[in-house]
Formats: sequence, C-alpha cells, structure tokens
Amino acid sequence: MTRLGFVLDSGSCIGCHACTIACKSEHDVPLSVNRTWLKYVETGSHPNTDREFSVMRCNHCDDAPCMTICPTSALHRTANGVVDFQDEDCIGCKACMNACPYDAIYLNPETKTAHKCNFCNHRLEDGLEPSCVIVCPTQAIRVGDLDDPDSEIARLHADGGLVRSPEQNTRPKVIYMGATASSLDPLASAIAPDGMIWADTTPGHSTPTQVALSASPDRADGEAMARTAYTTQHPPVWGAMVSGYLVTKAIAAGVMLVAALLVALGHGDDVMVSTVPAMVAGAFLAATGALLIGDLKQPKRFWYLITKGNRTSWLVKGSYVLGAFASCLAAWWLAGLADAGGALPWLALPTVAFALGTAGYTAFLFGQCEGRDLWQQPVLLPLLLAQAVVAGGATYSVLDLLLEVPGTATVQWTLFGGLVANGLLVVLEMRGSHSRHVTMALAEMTGGIGQRSFRQWRLDGLVMPLVLVVVSIALGADDPLLPAVAAPFVLHGLYAYEDAYVRAGQAVPLS
Amino acid sequence: MTNPLSSYPPEETWDHVESLDPAAWPTKVRRAHRLVPTTCFNCEANCGLLAWVDKHTGKITKFEGNPVHPASRGRNCAKGPATINQLEDPERILYPMRRVGERGEGLWERITWEQALDQIGTRIGTAFREDRHHEVMYHVGRMGDDSYMERVLHSWGIDGHNSHTNICSSGARVGYASWMGFDRPSADFANAEVIFLISSHLEAGHYFNPHAQRIIEGQKNGATVVCVDPRLSNTAAKADHWLSPWPGTEAFLLLAIARLLLEAGTWDSTFFERWVNWETFLREARPDLDCTFANVRQALIDQYVEYTPAEAARVCGVEESTIREVAAVIGRGLGKFASHTWRASSAGNEGDWMVSRCLQFLNVLTGSVGTEGGTNANGWNKFIPVTPIHPEPQARWNEMQWPIEYPLTHHELSILLPHFLKAGRGRLDTYFTRVYNPLWTNPDGFTWMEVLCDPELIGCHVALTPTWNESAWFADYVLPMGIASERHDVASFETHNGRWIGFRQPVARRHRELDGETFDRTHEANPGEVWEEQEFWIDLSWRIDPDGSLGIRSQFESRDEPGTPLTLDEYYTMLFGSSVPGLPEAAEVVGLTPLEYMRRKGSFSLPGDQYRVYERDVPETELAGAERDAEGVWRRPGTAGSHQSLEDIRGHMPFIGDGSPAIDVDGQAKFGFPTPSKKLEFFSETLRDWGWPEYSMPSFIRSQVHWEDLDMSAGERILVPTFRIPTLIHTRSANSQWLNEISHRHPLWLHPSDAEQLGIEEEGLVRITTRSGHFVIHAWRTEGIRPGVVAASHHMGRWRLEDDAARSWGAGKASVERDDDGRWRLRRERGHEPYESSEPDTGLIWWSDTGVHQNLTFPVQPDPISGMHCWLQRVTVAPAELGDAYGDVVVDTAASHQIFEEWLAKTRPGPGPGNLRRPLWFARPVKPAATAYRYSSSESA
Repeated sequence: MTRLGFVLDSGSCIGCHACTIACKSEHDVPLSVNRTWLKYVETGSHPNTDREFSVMRCNHCDDAPCMTICPTSALHRTANGVVDFQDEDCIGCKACMNACPYDAIYLNPETKTAHKCNFCNHRLEDGLEPSCVIVCPTQAIRVGDLDDPDSEIARLHADGGLVRSPEQNTRPKVIYMGATASSLDPLASAIAPDGMIWADTTPGHSTPTQVALSASPDRADGEAMARTAYTTQHPPVWGAMVSGYLVTKAIAAGVMLVAALLVALGHGDDVMVSTVPAMVAGAFLAATGALLIGDLKQPKRFWYLITKGNRTSWLVKGSYVLGAFASCLAAWWLAGLADAGGALPWLALPTVAFALGTAGYTAFLFGQCEGRDLWQQPVLLPLLLAQAVVAGGATYSVLDLLLEVPGTATVQWTLFGGLVANGLLVVLEMRGSHSRHVTMALAEMTGGIGQRSFRQWRLDGLVMPLVLVVVSIALGADDPLLPAVAAPFVLHGLYAYEDAYVRAGQAVPLS
Repeated sequence: MTNPLSSYPPEETWDHVESLDPAAWPTKVRRAHRLVPTTCFNCEANCGLLAWVDKHTGKITKFEGNPVHPASRGRNCAKGPATINQLEDPERILYPMRRVGERGEGLWERITWEQALDQIGTRIGTAFREDRHHEVMYHVGRMGDDSYMERVLHSWGIDGHNSHTNICSSGARVGYASWMGFDRPSADFANAEVIFLISSHLEAGHYFNPHAQRIIEGQKNGATVVCVDPRLSNTAAKADHWLSPWPGTEAFLLLAIARLLLEAGTWDSTFFERWVNWETFLREARPDLDCTFANVRQALIDQYVEYTPAEAARVCGVEESTIREVAAVIGRGLGKFASHTWRASSAGNEGDWMVSRCLQFLNVLTGSVGTEGGTNANGWNKFIPVTPIHPEPQARWNEMQWPIEYPLTHHELSILLPHFLKAGRGRLDTYFTRVYNPLWTNPDGFTWMEVLCDPELIGCHVALTPTWNESAWFADYVLPMGIASERHDVASFETHNGRWIGFRQPVARRHRELDGETFDRTHEANPGEVWEEQEFWIDLSWRIDPDGSLGIRSQFESRDEPGTPLTLDEYYTMLFGSSVPGLPEAAEVVGLTPLEYMRRKGSFSLPGDQYRVYERDVPETELAGAERDAEGVWRRPGTAGSHQSLEDIRGHMPFIGDGSPAIDVDGQAKFGFPTPSKKLEFFSETLRDWGWPEYSMPSFIRSQVHWEDLDMSAGERILVPTFRIPTLIHTRSANSQWLNEISHRHPLWLHPSDAEQLGIEEEGLVRITTRSGHFVIHAWRTEGIRPGVVAASHHMGRWRLEDDAARSWGAGKASVERDDDGRWRLRRERGHEPYESSEPDTGLIWWSDTGVHQNLTFPVQPDPISGMHCWLQRVTVAPAELGDAYGDVVVDTAASHQIFEEWLAKTRPGPGPGNLRRPLWFARPVKPAATAYRYSSSESA
C-alpha cells in the first residue's frame, strides 16, 4: 500500500508564497480561493519577536470527514491514499467545507464546485512531484509515503510530529516540522484590529474575535495569544437557506407529530387531523426540498443524491428520510381523502418515526461536520426534536384559529411543553464545560455574530410565546387566539435561533 | 512509493512531453507540450524558467523552473510562475503607440513599428549630426542583459547610459569597490559557518531565490544566521540572531565587532598580512610605529579605540551581550564568514557606503575573502561575455549622469536628472526609459512629472515597457517590449561559487521555428506586436544612420550577409561561439552548436571553481612587457596603471582596475585584486586623494537620520520606506493578479509604544511629514520594529489617472492637481474594485487597498560620496488631520529643489589628481575612452 503525505518543514519555509502561486498556475485557481496558502504568525516582543510561517492545505486524512459527508462521493480516495475529487459529480452542497476541520476546501467561483489540493494527482500519475514541491526554493515541502517505514514522513509520524487539529481524529497525513502551536492551532492567534501585514482583512478572514477571546481568553497551552499577520479568507458557506430549511422541516415534522398525537387521542376522523395537516406538512416539506436544492451551487445535479448517493453521508440518508416522510404524508392524506380515519393509527407509527427522523437527522448531518464543533454537541438532537414540537404546536395554533381543531388544549399544552423543553435544552447547551472552540462558538452565538438573532429568539421564540401560552392555558386553554398570535413570533424566533446557530457554528476559525 | 518521483520531465524529452491535463483530471486527458527554457524577467536574479507550450494551441500554459539552471536549480519564488499572469494580463500594451494629446492627457494613436523607428531614428540621427550627442539618453531600470546595451551605446558613440543604481546600490558598491575594486560581494552561503546579512535575502535582494536556497541550506548544515535590520523581515525571523540597531549605526556595530575579534585574537592574521595593504595603513596612519606586521593588530585596536561594546550598545541600541555573543560566533567561523549587504542600510543613510566597507572589513579580518564558505568578489562569480565585434569606447563624458561633484559615485546620479534639467545644465532631445518608472520609483516624483511634461527639457520621451506605468503615461511614444518569454538576453550573476550564463529567449518564436516557421522579427511571433529591444536597437540604428555615414550602421550589419541588418541568431552564434569559455566544447560533446545548446538548455555553467582567484599564479607570458614597481605590482605600459598621458591608454580600459596584471607576493606573481595596490585596501589612497582623507579607513559616519539628532518628543521618527516583500517587484509585478492578491497593502509599521506616545489610535490614520511634503497612511502596530523607527514597504501606492486606462492589478484611481501655493496633491479616489474584462479574475477582485505613493514626498538626498540616494527619512509622525484621507500625498517641489541644492553643497567636487573626473581604475558602466576622463574647466558644472 501507499499512503502519501506531505512533510511541511516550517524550519525551512521562508514564507515566500511560491507554493501558493505555483498551485494557482498548475490548477488555474481563481482569485479569492486557494488550494494551498501561507499563514504568518507573530509572537514575542521587540527585540525578541518572531514570525513563523506555515503552509496550510488539505491533510488528505485517513479518516476524511469530507469523504464521509460528500453525498455523491465526488470526494474520493485514490489508491495512493490521496483524497481527490471528481468535479463532474459535485452538486455544490458545501457540506465538505463544513466537514473539513482545516478550511482546506473551497467553492470554485467559476465552476461552482468544491475544489481542494489533490496532491497534483495528475502529476503523480506521470511520475512528477506536485508543483508546490518543485517550486519551493528551500525544499520545505516534501512528499512521503507513510507506509514506507524508512521514509522521512513515517519517521516523523512515529516521533509524534505535529499535525493540525489532532483532536478531530481525522488522521491527517500532513506532518509539520519546526512548527509551533502558535501557527498550527487556529485559536492560538488572531488578526489584530489594524489588520494584516500586506493584505486586506475581509469578513471572510475568520479569526477569534474579541467576543470569542473574552469568553475564552487563554490558549490551550497557556501561551500568550499570537498575532496572525497573514492568512487567507474562508467565508462561511451555509447561511439563510440552511437556517430556513431547519425551520421548514421542523414545521413539517412538528405538524405531523401533533396530528399523530391527536390521532392517538381519538380525533382521527377530523379533517383537521387527517388531510389538512398532511397538506400543510407537505407544503413545508416541499419548501424544505426547495431550500435544499436552492442552496446547491449545482442545483441541476440534485438527483445525483439518488443516482450517485454515498450512503455514509447524512445528506443522502437525510434525503431518504425526507422521501420516506413524504410517502407517509401522501398516505396520510390519501387516507384522509378516502375518509379512512381508521387507518391513521396504523400510519401514525411510521409517520411519527419519519417525522422525528426529518426533524432530527440534521443532528447527524451536522455531527459529520468535523470542523463545526458547536454542531457536534449531543444536545443538538433533542433540541431539534423540541424545536419540531414547538413548530408543530405553533402551526396548529394558527390552524386552530382559522379552522376548528379538535383538542385546542392539547395543541396549547404541546406548544407549552415544546417551548419549555426548547428553553431548557438551550440552557443545557450553554452550560457545562466545553472545548475552547465550542466556548467561542457559543460566545459568538449569544454575544457576537449571532447576538441579534439570538436575542430575537429569546424574545420572539421563547419568552413572549411562553407568556401568551401560559396566559391562554390559565384562562382555560380553550381559546386559540393567544397561541395563534404567538405563532408567527415563535416561527420567526425559531428562524432567528437557527440563524445564530448556523452562523456561530461557522464563526470559529479553522486555519 | 515504488517509483520515486522526479521534479521535471527528463531534459531529453523536452521537445515533446505528454502530460495529463489537470483541469480534466481525474479523467485522463493527455496534452502534448514542448518545454522551452527561458529566463525570469521579474527580479535581478534572472532565475531559469521552463515555458510549457501547448503543441496544439501554441500557447504557453505555465512556467516552471529550469532544472538545469545552475543558480535557481529548478526552483523559483512566487514571481517565477506568476509570469503567466503578466503574459495574459488583459491590460498589457500590445501595439506601439504615439501620443496625440498633451503629455499626460492619455490620448494615444496606434502606429506601426516602421513609423516608430523612422520617427525616432530620424530624430536621433539629426541630434548626432548636429553634435548633440549628450541629448540622447537611455535610462534603464531592470537591465536584462549584461553587454548588449553597452555595445549599442558604444556604437552610437554617446555617453548616454543612465540607470536606476543610485536609488538601489551605489552606496554598497563604493564600500566594496574601495576595498577590492569589485563592487559587490558574492557570499558562499551554502558552505558557510556564519551567515551575516544586512539585507533581507530570504525575501528580496540580489539574489532572492538562488541565495535563499543556499542560506537555508547553510543554516540546515549548521551555519549560524545573523540578520541586522531595524524591522523584523522574514529573513530576520529565520535568523538565529536578529539585531535591530538604530538605522544608520550599522557601521558602528560592525567596527565594534571588528575590535572584539582583534582583541580576542580571533582573526586571520596570516591572510591580513598577505593580502591587505597594511604597510600603507601603518605608514599613513601610524608613522610613529615601525612598519612591521607585528604592529598591525595593536594599531588596529588603537584605531578603533572608541568602538567598545558598551559604546556600540549605546550608539546602536543593541544589548552589549548580544554584540559580544555575535562577535564570538564570528570568531569561531574564521574563513567561513559569508556576508552580504545590499540596499538596506547601505541604501538609506548618508555615509551608507561605509556599512559595506565595514562589513568587508569583517570578511577580511576573518580571512573569508573568496574562500569556501566565505565571501567572494562578484566579478569572480559572474561572467559577462562580450562579442568580438565590440566598437571602440565613446570619447565623450556626459555631465548629466556623471557630474563633477561626484567623482567617486558608483553609477549615474540618475535621481538628480530632473533637477539638473530644471537648473539648466542641459536638455534631452530623446530620452528612452526602459522598464523604468522614475516618476513612481524615484524620490521626488512630482519633480519628474514636471520635467516629463516639459517639452523644452525633454524633447521626446520614448517608454520601452511591457506594461503601463506612471511615467509611460507622460511619454510621447510607448513601445511594448516583451517580458520573460518574449525576448533575447544574456544574464549572469554571482549567486554561488561558480560562474554561469543564462539565456532568455522568445518562447513562441522558438517553438514555431522548431515547427519549421521562419520569422524576420520577434514581434511577428509575440502577442500583438510586442517586440524585444535587441532587434529594436538594430533596426533603430539603421534608421539613425541610413547611409552609414555616421559609422553606426556598420556595427549593426550582418557579417554573413553584408548590406542587411545583423540578426540575433548571427549575434548569438558569435557570442556563444567565441566568448564563453567551455561552451563550444560542451556543445560539441552533445553534438550541438553553441547557440543551439543555449536554446535547448537555457543556461551554461562555466567549468571550474572560483575560490581564492587572487591567489592564482600569473604565468610569465602574461607579464611580458610589464614592469614590477617598488611595491611588487606588475604594471603594463598603456594602461591606467602606468600611463604618462591619457592618450597613451588606447581602446577599452578594463571595466575594473588599472590593467596591472599581477602582484608579487612572497616572490610569486599572483593575480591579486583589481585595485591600484593589487591588494585589499584597508587604507584607501583613492579616497584620500579624491578629497575624503578622513574616510580612507573603515569608519562610522553619522547619518541624516541619526537617532540622537531626532526630537522624539515632538514626534520625530526615522522612516524606513525601502523594504521589499517576497511577492512583489517594483513596477512590474502590478500586472500579476496572483501576486497582488497576496500583497496589496503596506501599512506603516509602528511599535506599540510609539503608537501610544504619538497618540495613534488603533486602525488610525497617520500623517507622515517629510521636509518636502506629507502623506497619509494606515498604522500597523507591531512588535516587529524597533521603537523610534517606522517603516512601510515601497511596493504599493501605484496609481492611474483614468478609470479604464492603464489599469493594473495594483493601481488605484487617483487624481493629481496643483494648489494655489504651487503644491502638488495626489488624491486617491478609489481603491481596487472588481470589473468585467476578458479575464474572469478581474470580476473576482476582493481587495481594495492599493497603498500610498510615499516616494513622492521624499526629496533627493544623494550621499556626497557614493551618490546613493539616502532613502531613510527624518519624519514627523502624527495622527491624521481633519480633512486628511487615506492615500493623500502633498508635495512642494520648490522645497525639494532647495533640498537638492543643500545636498549638492555637501559634495567635494572634482577634478581629482591629474585633473581627472574619476579614478581611472574605478568601474563605470559603458566606460568611456581614457581621454574622456580629462576634466575641462570650461565645462559648466
């Protein structure tokens, strides 16, 4: 076997950027993105100041999270151990960019597909070294085979040579010599307010912000924070579409959970329990699909999810779940149309199962995002389920106002229960000890990039609806008005929460 | 891996390499390429490149290194592969153009090369016939070739060469030349034990990539790297010792180290006794002592009695223990002390040339001159082939470049040209700028703008440039000349122990000629009608002298086919066939002509090592006709070393030295050094005789920015405005998007303690005031700079006056106006923004900063001896004022002219001994005939 890796010798690296340019030339990489780049980090004070250089790029991990999450296996491993990509198979879902804990993958603005260092596999095939290797003036970039025990890289690896983010357990195959934590740990240095040494700093240059640093001021190794003097931009890739998709599918799932509850309570014959919820959930599930496809940079290739589906990817599994849920909805609706209310208790079981799946599978999808530790917290699954209950309760409250739903109190108690659970789970998410990455992400969520949205959630999505629902229940839980008034706020609050969560999850730098 | 990987396809396959298309991968699509070697045109290192030409499209797809190039060894810095950007730049100039509006108005018409040649040639021919030879000047920024242009100018019989050197390296050159004749060091970094850099060779300098390779190689092999720089350059960051002295005190530091070496006895006394003119030192400086070597050590210690480590610590602001430690390190590496200074402090301070003179003193004390792991002279590691058809030297001396005030300057006083023109010292009829952008690059650019706009002072300005620049905008003709892969040149540089030549060739032409096409001129194969200078000069010379009556045409006439112009194939057949030792033999071994050998390989390494050349025995045959003088120097009649009158010296004088062939050392005739004494001159009689006796020995000269003279409390600081960064190269790199994406901003480095003291806020704007103006820039607080010093790289601050013309990846939109007080004001209107063009990348521009054109605010400060512009500025640093905007530049050119006169008054004008304009033995580009050295007092000065 062959398992190729790079030795990046920071001791020899002079920070000249030749590798960056040679790579741009070899692969025609557009402006704004890079397959390989340099990071400059400054430490110390005059005259004992130092500037360290380290080359950043794909680690060709043995356990590559990008390959796991890639829904079409566009990212794949070749026989020499390299993680390569098949451009034609990429649907532009950007999941790999969140799965990679190294910022190594970018969306090519010209092809609208995900690209990264592929070890110049086409050159290896011709017996040539990668272009970054041959250009390097000081031979600081070297190729090695980890399966060859005599190779430099294997010896380094055996000696515990440094790798980036070892805690992600991706088994990276880029080993650094002469580098320090200041360079390799993305949370050990930050861009100062007056910017970088010779390039503009954009919002896409992710760095620990003041908010994040206030929440977690100390480096893991106890050293002083270093200064990032040069790095490249890695803007977040998931935004409003993903936050919106989390809301629409929560509504779809939640509506059916409440409907199933009402069926269990014997209201299966009511049109508000049979056809209407199936139609409402169907509409929001369709919206979910539209958002998912809309967020693809290659939307015309969405069907590759089916034809080229990679079953390790929760994007693919999720699409199966969504499909199964859609089938349940269709059956439910048909049963309602056929006036076969007696069938609903039989349908409720799979429907509930797939509703829970629809609401909850994202926890597994986000869990595959090795780069986004916030999203990997175990509380995410119950939180998503609670959000579905909240969304279902709120939607049913509106239905209750427009048309009469059997079991108004049930709906209100459901909404109440969901809100309480949601609130408690968020508290649980915040509390306890976290890694530095998660602490920073949470700080960003509540006080930084997500602050405004998080506050909106607290008010619109939690406090106000709770007050209204509690008042309504106290008044007898038989008037749908107050919960219906609360419902739009609940849903807006839910979106605001997802917005804060999705953005904060991507706000912590990885490189 | 079962099969080891290689860096490049084997050389024998370069004519046809099938490789996988990276864009199609993992689908395996093979494309056929031809690999054509050429030479990088971006910096002075001239590294080898291999152009990959797609055989199907005929287009160059990429540039890699040339693995057989002896200096770059297949490796490159970022600027090498970025050459492809410059080739494909949508804004490059593709056709000859002539101005139709006012100068600087930006109105142009496309003309043919024939028109350009006829019009310019006629102009120059008229000037020559009217004996206005001094009105034709060729001003070069980056020389691509080593001897071709000298041949052209000698043919024209004019003293018309001007260069960029006195904004670059004149200072360092005088320091080295006054020791050893040769004006540059050549450090053998790879084999050194101590690498001592007053430069930033790991990111810049002569010669970045080849030297960086060998510095790191040396360091990996155990050498200790010392870097002296007020700011933390990348080089300083890699060094084992970073010394950050007050700018301008480096010479003091070096002399303190010298004293420590002498006191500790860690010096090479044997070498010193054998190769240094110590007798002159004792005789001149210590007449009280017997002239025996035993007295030298103590005499030297006495000479430097004030340079104690404690005093050095005070003057330089470096810890005494650090100075002692570094001296100890140097003392342990005798014979293997590889040092360099280029630009840096020797291009910053009045007395800057003393920095290299003091550094060379350490080379000498440690016995490291020309040794393995030591520091050689550039002339012994560089080889300039000269054609056998070289015309006689010009018998003219042009005071515009070589004014009598600066008899010892190394290279032309180019920065003073606009002031001389304004002062009425002369005018220019035809002024060529070649890859040179004085308005932007030189100090005091607005004065350049004034003279470039005045047709009375400059009759016709021809800009030979591949790309738009600020100066070309004010030209009368803009003639597009090719870049790396579009031209012929020969280059050689002192990159390591050895000698080599590199050959730049027009790749598309070569490729198509190999496919059977024939071309008359390179512009037929280049993009658009981009040409190359070498053919241009041939054709222009024919137009200057169409009937041959001036004797110029014959120099550019084919020997093979008389009556037709010389072709470059013929020229290079001659050059490579007869002027490069070992090349014809090496070519024969592989069955090629020398020219074909160079076209296939792109470079040639001359045989033999170049260590201790001065120790070589001189065979008796070479002493024939020479006489041995009292000091043991063999002097040859008819040379500068033993002439009676200047008329005795015929033809070309040696580029360096007085033509004396040898010196007797211990009874053996040795090659020696090209100095009057043929030895290393610790005591320079030349400096003494030419008006500067106080500087005849290495010493410290207090500079114009000496820290003790600053009023720190009033906000005065030292500005270092010169440093390079690894990705950019003056004007030329603005046409590469990849390079500019990496670097496009140059904030002012400022120590946090200074920021606090000066009230500069975080993210604050700073106004920097010089004696002739001010500019407004962003602050960048860093621990990477000495408190008391501020610095901004010189690279950025490019601008254009029109929205959609003369664009580059580095130029912001600006406006220039003159206020009622006659002050110039450059205002930055917009930074970079994306725009649509044939190049998709223009739509992806994500940065906006383009920097500040700080050089405009620097008055000229020519060192009175070396003529080097003293770049460091004594400035006032303050928060920006109300109304200031980022990028603002305001300059009063009346003030800058007055400052020019102040600095001119510091000189001690010639003529020197023998009524000479300049020592005959000093190097000089396009060296004139000896008679031209005679100063005539009737000349205006």
